[in-house]
Amino acid sequence: MSATPLVHVVDDDESFRTALLRLLREAGFEARGYGSAGEFLLRAPVERPGCLVLDLRLPGPSGLELHEALRARGSTLPVVFLTGHADVPAVVRAMKGGAVEFLTKPVEREALFEALRRALERETRQRTASGEAAALLAGWKTLTPREREVLELIAAGKHNKQIACELGIAERTVKLYRANTMAKLGVGSAAELGRMVERLRHLSEEMLTSA
Amino acid sequence: MDETPESPRARLFAEGRRLPASAARVGTPTRGPGEWSQRGPPLLPVAPSTRVVARLASAWVIAALLGVAAPAPAAERVGNVLVLYSYPWRLPINVEGDRGLHEAIRTSAERPVLVCDETLDAPRFGGPAYEAVVVKYLREKYVAKAPDVLVAVGDVALDFLLTRRTLLFPGVPIVYAGVDQKTLQSMPPLPAGVIGVPIDHTYYPTINLAFRWHPRAHRLVAVTGTSEVDRRIEAQLRAELPRVKPGVTVELLAGLPLDEILRRVAGLGQDAVVWTAGVFRDGANQSFVPRDVVAAIAAASTAPVYTSFDTLIGNGTVGGYSPSIYGIGRQAGEIVNDLLDGGAPGTLRLPRPLPQRLVVDWRQARRWEIPENAIPSEAVVKFKPPPLLEAYPNDVLVAVLVALLQTALIGWLVVEHHRRRRAEAVREVQSLELAHASRLAVAGELTASIAHEINQPLGAILSNADAADLILESPNDRRDEIRTILADIRRDDRRASEVVRQWRGLLAKHALEPRAFDLNGVVRDVESLLRAEARRRGVALRIQPAPTPAETVGDPVQIQQALINVVLNAMDAVAGLPDDRRTITVPVECVDGRVTILVRDRGHGIAPADLPRLFEPFFSTKSGGMGLGLAITRTLVESHGGRIWAENGPGEGARFHIELPAVRGHDDAPPEPA
Repeated sequence: MSATPLVHVVDDDESFRTALLRLLREAGFEARGYGSAGEFLLRAPVERPGCLVLDLRLPGPSGLELHEALRARGSTLPVVFLTGHADVPAVVRAMKGGAVEFLTKPVEREALFEALRRALERETRQRTASGEAAALLAGWKTLTPREREVLELIAAGKHNKQIACELGIAERTVKLYRANTMAKLGVGSAAELGRMVERLRHLSEEMLTSA
Repeated sequence: MDETPESPRARLFAEGRRLPASAARVGTPTRGPGEWSQRGPPLLPVAPSTRVVARLASAWVIAALLGVAAPAPAAERVGNVLVLYSYPWRLPINVEGDRGLHEAIRTSAERPVLVCDETLDAPRFGGPAYEAVVVKYLREKYVAKAPDVLVAVGDVALDFLLTRRTLLFPGVPIVYAGVDQKTLQSMPPLPAGVIGVPIDHTYYPTINLAFRWHPRAHRLVAVTGTSEVDRRIEAQLRAELPRVKPGVTVELLAGLPLDEILRRVAGLGQDAVVWTAGVFRDGANQSFVPRDVVAAIAAASTAPVYTSFDTLIGNGTVGGYSPSIYGIGRQAGEIVNDLLDGGAPGTLRLPRPLPQRLVVDWRQARRWEIPENAIPSEAVVKFKPPPLLEAYPNDVLVAVLVALLQTALIGWLVVEHHRRRRAEAVREVQSLELAHASRLAVAGELTASIAHEINQPLGAILSNADAADLILESPNDRRDEIRTILADIRRDDRRASEVVRQWRGLLAKHALEPRAFDLNGVVRDVESLLRAEARRRGVALRIQPAPTPAETVGDPVQIQQALINVVLNAMDAVAGLPDDRRTITVPVECVDGRVTILVRDRGHGIAPADLPRLFEPFFSTKSGGMGLGLAITRTLVESHGGRIWAENGPGEGARFHIELPAVRGHDDAPPEPA
C-alpha cells in the first residue's frame, strides 16, 4: 500500500484532460489521464489508493458502464463524475451506483477539490476497514472448528461453565480455547473479543462464504 | 278578284307622280301617303260629284229597267262582297285599311265569301263620262256575282254608291268605312241599309304634343298644297287652330311650289315645329304622292316635322295622333260579317269610333332629343330597335352563354391563379416557419449534446485558468507553462465559439437566399453538429465526402436540416442494437448531373407497408414521434428541385437517398480542400 493517493482522470477530450491534469498536479495531487474506459482498465495501477474522475460519455463503454463494472469487481475506488452535460437519469444511476459526487463542466476548482478530498477520505476509510476485516478473517481462518464454536458461544455472552456444559467438555478446556482464540485474533479482553465477533457478523455474507 | 295590293292592277292604279329620288330619300318608297279615311270625302268636291250623279241617274235607271237582274242575297251560295275604294289602290292608307278589312272578313267552307275590290281612283279620274263607264263596268262585271254587301271606303266611294245604289245594286246594304264624322254630318241623312263606323280625326292634339315636346318652339309652320284634298285639310286645320296652345304663331305654307316649301323649312330655327299632311298638288300645279312630299320636307327641315296621319310616319316625321287605319278596316270587316250572317242592317250593334292614338317614330324622337319618359306609355312607338334578345333570341342566348362561360372561365382562372400564388406564398412562408420550428425542435432534442459540446472546451478553459493561477503562486518562473496554458485556452475558446456558430447557423431564422454550395461541406457540417449526439448514443457516424465538389443551388441550411433529420432517424433506427451495427454511413456522390447524399444504417430496415407513407405528415412509427421530420425533409428537398426516397438496403438496414440537381460548368473549380 503506497501512501500517495492517485487521481485517475478518464476523459476522451484530450484538451480537457490535459487542462484538468495540469490543475490537479499544480494542486498537489498525483494524477493520471486516460482517453477511454478500456485504457483505464488496462493501465491503471489498481493497488494504489486513489480516486477516479470519470466523464459520462466515452468512446466505447461509457463512464457509467465503467463505474458499474468496477463495482461488480469489488473495487472500492471512489468515483467523481465530471461531465459536460448530465441528465437526471444518468445522475440517479451514478449516485445509486455509489458515486461520491456528480459534477458538470466547467467545474469550479474548489468544488472539484472538495469532491476529491471526500473521495480520498472514503477510499482511506474503506481501505482501513477492509484491511481490518481481512485481518479478522485471516484470524478466523486460523481458528479450529472447536475454537470457532467456543468463540460463537463467548460472543453469545455465555460463561465458561455454560460453554463447557454445552459442548460437553471440561471447563479448563474451555479456558484454553478462549486463550488460544484471543491470541490468534490478537485481542486482549473478552469484551474486545465480543466486538470482534460483532464485526465479523457485520461483514457481508459473501465475504464470509467466499472466505 | 281577291287581289293583293301588290298585284299588277294595284300598281297600275298607283301612278301618282313620284318625286326625284334625291328628294324622297328619307321615305320608304313602297309606302305612299294616303288620305283614305282621315276625314270627310276629300278628293271630289261634293257638289260636282252630286251633279255627276244626277246627270248619270237616268242612265242608271235605264240600265236597271233594261232588266239587269238585281242579285238577291242567297244564304246558300257564296257571299259576295264588293269593296269600292275612293282613291288609288296603292295609297298606304288603302293598303293598311284593306289589310284590316280582309283579315276581319271570315270565310269558311260553310259560308264561303268572295271579296272583290274596285276603286274609283279619285281624284285622278272623275267626271260624268268616267262615272258612267264605271257604272256600266260594275253592272256588267257583277251580273253573275251580284254583291251581297257593298263596302264604301272613303267619302267619294260612299257618295258614288249612295247616288247609284238603285241603278247598280238596289237594296244591297252598304257599309261605309273611313268617312269622317264631320263629313257625314254635312251630308243628307243616310238611307236605310247604309251603316258604318265614322272616324274621329283631329289635328290639334298632334300640334299641341309638338309644342310640349319642344318647349322652346312657338311657331307652327303648316305645309299644305293646292288640291281639293289639300284645301280640305287646310280648312280643318284652320278650324282647329283655336284649340292649339295659346301664344303660338301659325304660318301656313300653302300654294307654294315644292322647291320653295323645302327652301323655307330648311331655314327654320329651334323656335319652330312643322306640321303637314303632305301635298297632293303644289303651287306649281305639280301632283305628288303626299308621302314623298312629307319625306322631302322632313329631310330638308331644320325643325321637327309632325303629321296627323299614321301612314305618313316612318319617313322623317316625329309622329302624331291618328286613328288606326288598320283598325278602321277591321271594324268594317266585322260589320260585313254580321250582315253576311243574316243580320239586318238596322238592328246591328255598331262599335264606337276608334280613338286616336299617338304613333311615334323612335328614330326621330331620338334625333330631336325627346326624352323617353315624355312619350306616353300607350303610344305606338315604331322603329324602336327591338331589344337584341327579342330580335335574335337564340343568337343572343348563345352569345350570352358563351360570354358567361368565357367570363366564368377567365374568372375562375384568375381566381385560381391568385389562389395558387397565395397558397404558394403561404406554403413557402409556412414551410420556412415550419422548417425553422423543426430545426428548433431538433436542437431541443440535441440539447444534451450541444451542451456537452460547449461545456467541454469551457471546462478545459476554466481548469487551465485555475492551473495558471496556481502556477503563478509558485515561486519559480514558469512563464513558458503559462504561455502553453494560454494557447490552450485560446484554442478551446475557439472551439466553443465554433460550436455556437454552427448551431446558430442552423437555428437562426433566415430568409431564403439560394446560392451554389457544396454538399460535401454540408455533410461535414452535419457530422460536426451531430458528433456529440452520435457519441452520446454510441453511434458511429461515418461521412464519405465525394472526391470532387458536389455543388447544387439552394439554401445549405435547409439541406443541412434535411440531412440531420435523416441521420437522426437513422440513429433512432440503430438504437439498442449491438455496437457493430450502430453504424451510419453517409457517402456523397455525383452521378449524371445529380448529386446524391446517401444515408445508410444497419438497423432493422423499414417495414414494406410503411415505405410508401414514410414521408407523409404525421406518419410515425415511433411512439413519441410527431411524424413531421421526414415530411419536412421531403418539402425541403423538393423545394430544391430534388427528391428523397427510402429503400431497404441489401442485407440489413435502410437507405435514404437525397438527390439534388448538380450545378454544371464547375470543371475549373478548385479542388475541394481535404
